[in-house]
Amino acid sequence: MSDKHTPGDDAMIVLDGVSKHYPGQEGPAVAELSMEIKRGEFVVLVGPSGCGKTTTLRMINRLVEPTGGRILIDGEDVTHSDVDRLRHGIGYVIQQIGLLPHLTIADNIALVPKMLGVKKAERRKRAEELLEMVGLAPATYARRYPRQLSGGQQQRVGVARALAADPPVMLMDEPFGAVDPIAREKLQMEFLRLQDRLRKTIVMVTHDIDEALRLGDRIAIFGPGCRLVQFDTPLEILSNPADDFVRDFVGGGAPVRRLSLLKVSDVLASFGPADDAALGRTVPVEAGESVHRALELVLAARAEGVEVALAGGVRRIGLQTLLTAASQPTTVPA
Amino acid sequence: MSAAAVENVEVSGGRRSVPWLLPLVVVALLVGVWAYVNSLHMDSIETRSLAFDVVATAVWKHIELVVASTILTIAIGVPLGVLLTRPGIGRIGAVFLAVANAGQAVPSIGVLVVLAMLFGVGFWMAVVALVAYALLPVLRNTMVGIRQVDAALIDAGRGMGMSGFRVLTTIELPLAVPVMLAGIRVALILNVGAGTLAAYTNAGGLGSIISSGIALDRMPVLIVGSTLTICLALTVDWLAGLAERVLRPRGI
Repeated sequence: MSDKHTPGDDAMIVLDGVSKHYPGQEGPAVAELSMEIKRGEFVVLVGPSGCGKTTTLRMINRLVEPTGGRILIDGEDVTHSDVDRLRHGIGYVIQQIGLLPHLTIADNIALVPKMLGVKKAERRKRAEELLEMVGLAPATYARRYPRQLSGGQQQRVGVARALAADPPVMLMDEPFGAVDPIAREKLQMEFLRLQDRLRKTIVMVTHDIDEALRLGDRIAIFGPGCRLVQFDTPLEILSNPADDFVRDFVGGGAPVRRLSLLKVSDVLASFGPADDAALGRTVPVEAGESVHRALELVLAARAEGVEVALAGGVRRIGLQTLLTAASQPTTVPA
Repeated sequence: MSAAAVENVEVSGGRRSVPWLLPLVVVALLVGVWAYVNSLHMDSIETRSLAFDVVATAVWKHIELVVASTILTIAIGVPLGVLLTRPGIGRIGAVFLAVANAGQAVPSIGVLVVLAMLFGVGFWMAVVALVAYALLPVLRNTMVGIRQVDAALIDAGRGMGMSGFRVLTTIELPLAVPVMLAGIRVALILNVGAGTLAAYTNAGGLGSIISSGIALDRMPVLIVGSTLTICLALTVDWLAGLAERVLRPRGI
């Protein structure tokens, strides 16, 4: 698919100087925005309301037509392509979910395949497959109507519907915003697991920085004046905020929040071979576990540190070393 | 009128409990009027006015009037309503609504007489007058029905790559059906009532029995004419209620 226009080989979505001016409005809604989103990457657009993040998202599937710049998807300039065909290849999930109330769950999921001319029996099979994938039993839910489902269940269906035609790209506009907090966290985690398997290129909008930090591979923070302030990994944003706006937006407690993003292996890497040999009781943890989880285990067991089984033997890290790791942003490996 | 029609949608679920009540009332009325007529010693005028074929012709003519005018009303009102809800047509919509409003405000008898003076009398002139009268609820309910569709659903539809026409047929129209049907039901009832006036322009129908009852000062004739009109209106309403229930999309 990719051709000579592709800036990077692994770039899936490229925004090239994209802007949006609404007639009769003084400033632009989005100004000269350039971003490159890699294949299989989960990018979260975050910022205060009115900062242009939703407009940016909706320009990718051209629900909002950009007034300037180019948008490339998989190397193809889509600013002038057939808009309906473009959207068939982009899954779209919105906060209001938008299931059609007069269609069954299975029919809702099969909407895009139906437009693409997939046969009925095949559509049915695909719908059941997807229901299974988002954790809803097809036998129970396929024939129900949307209003018979809870908000969380409906948004699972919303995600399933967006995935129905197996699009390489998914756009999500505050997908978990209308779901109650407990169901939201569960949905987020399930969605991350799903994404681990599917490796879609996802662009998601949220105003919740915690959600962004939890979900995104990279986070784009939009600031005042509709500009992109920082576009980086969650860890980097917590460790090295670009300016005061980002620092304020991320909010207090950055060192503590870094704990759930740092892995035990990162601590090992940044503190070299020194071994806290003089430790008392330690608890075993995996190297891939987050520092946050490791601390939880240590505190729960009233131990003094953790032990990590590595290829070269067991390494022990004390509580103090783990905590120091969180408070030293500059030592974080990229 | 259409506000009432919209409310109709909400309460029509409650009708479920006694769907047989209305037909029962109709049958009771018919039996009652038949017994009343049979108990009379009718003079020749009454006998002639209430002969079976005279009454049957009038009823049939009336049904023809109602059916023809309602079909025309739907044929004009629904496409027009759809057209007026398309984006970029906003201001014209208000104009059409104003015209439809005027159509309903003007008494049908006035429209009938004016049309009769301009174009002559007869069945189709009566139909035109009835359409002008009953257009408003159909037009307005079509517009209201489509406009009340949640914007998020349309956004979702567009976002998944539906064309504007596809959004109309798979999202907007099905979800507007209950409100549209309520408007059509109102139009039907209006037409049954206003159809009695068609007799004044020689279009026949139950109005001719009523007016001859008045003109000839024959109470039984008048009673038969008006009772049959009431029965027809109730039956039509009942049938429309059934249709609403059958045609309403499941899940909403």
